[in-house]
Amino acid sequence: MTHPAGTTRRRVLGASVLAAAAALGASGCDPRAWPWATPPRPAPDVAVLHDVMAAEDALIAKYTAVIAAFPSLRGRMSPLLAQHREHLARLRAQLVIPPGASPSESAAATARSRVPRPRVPASQAGAVSYLRAAERGQAAALVRRLVSAPPSLAQLLASIGACEASHAALLGSAGDPR
Amino acid sequence: MTGPAASAAVDALQAALAAENAAIFGYGVAGAFMTGSQRGTATVFWDEHKSARDTLASMLRGRGARPGAADAAYKMPFTVHDRHQAVALAAYLEDGVTAAYLGVVGATSQATLRRFGAGAMQRPAVRAAYWRGSAEAFPGLPAARKSR
Repeated sequence: MTHPAGTTRRRVLGASVLAAAAALGASGCDPRAWPWATPPRPAPDVAVLHDVMAAEDALIAKYTAVIAAFPSLRGRMSPLLAQHREHLARLRAQLVIPPGASPSESAAATARSRVPRPRVPASQAGAVSYLRAAERGQAAALVRRLVSAPPSLAQLLASIGACEASHAALLGSAGDPR
Repeated sequence: MTGPAASAAVDALQAALAAENAAIFGYGVAGAFMTGSQRGTATVFWDEHKSARDTLASMLRGRGARPGAADAAYKMPFTVHDRHQAVALAAYLEDGVTAAYLGVVGATSQATLRRFGAGAMQRPAVRAAYWRGSAEAFPGLPAARKSR
């Protein structure tokens, strides 16, 4: 059994919607952009994440440059460098990627472009203190940066800061923790 | 700050205080199996825990809360009969204290308290790294999340 009346109503409705859409397209008045055409504005914690990722990238660049300049430090520095790579991976995993963006590439590119070329001191002892100072600086910076982050991100940043404080101590003279 | 947010902060501070009290007890055990410079370091760390305990107690009193008391004794996480096990115990104690301060960071959005927790957890993380001779990538975070 068919419902000619219903079918007709649907057809009429469909036709009028199409007509309205066509009229809108032709009328020259500004049609709305698709809502997903502009990615959502980054939340404040995305800005924090990008900053911290850039700082981790800078630390990685410093370790890499020091190891290149003093290959005998490789054994001592590699575990610390590996932990910074873990930090970076975990931070990147926190990013909520807007649709259409190419996440890892753009984030990494932004971070990398901001990393200044490391200036490694001429002596090996100087290079170690250079890394130690960088770790200390980043450990202190993270304590300030986590203030505005949501709780779970604040904890991640605090944990990374504690790791970096440990690195600074391990890079200290003769394993003295103070 | 009043209401549930204040109470979450007080709970987290009490948990940090409980961790410091446990560490103070534990260092008493660990230090007994150490000698020489190692024992000297353990004594310095022990004092740091006592001073951290006093800081937390005064923060709690400042918030109108009564600081929790230390227990008379704590169950050892494993047998401690030699220097090697004593070092493992010291690292274990520092891990517990680190995690407790991380709890303070997560329990509050108040800037001062967050900075306190984040700054305070760097000390036990550094001491744990001293005992182990190596750092953890994510001090204080649960192991399950670490391996992800």
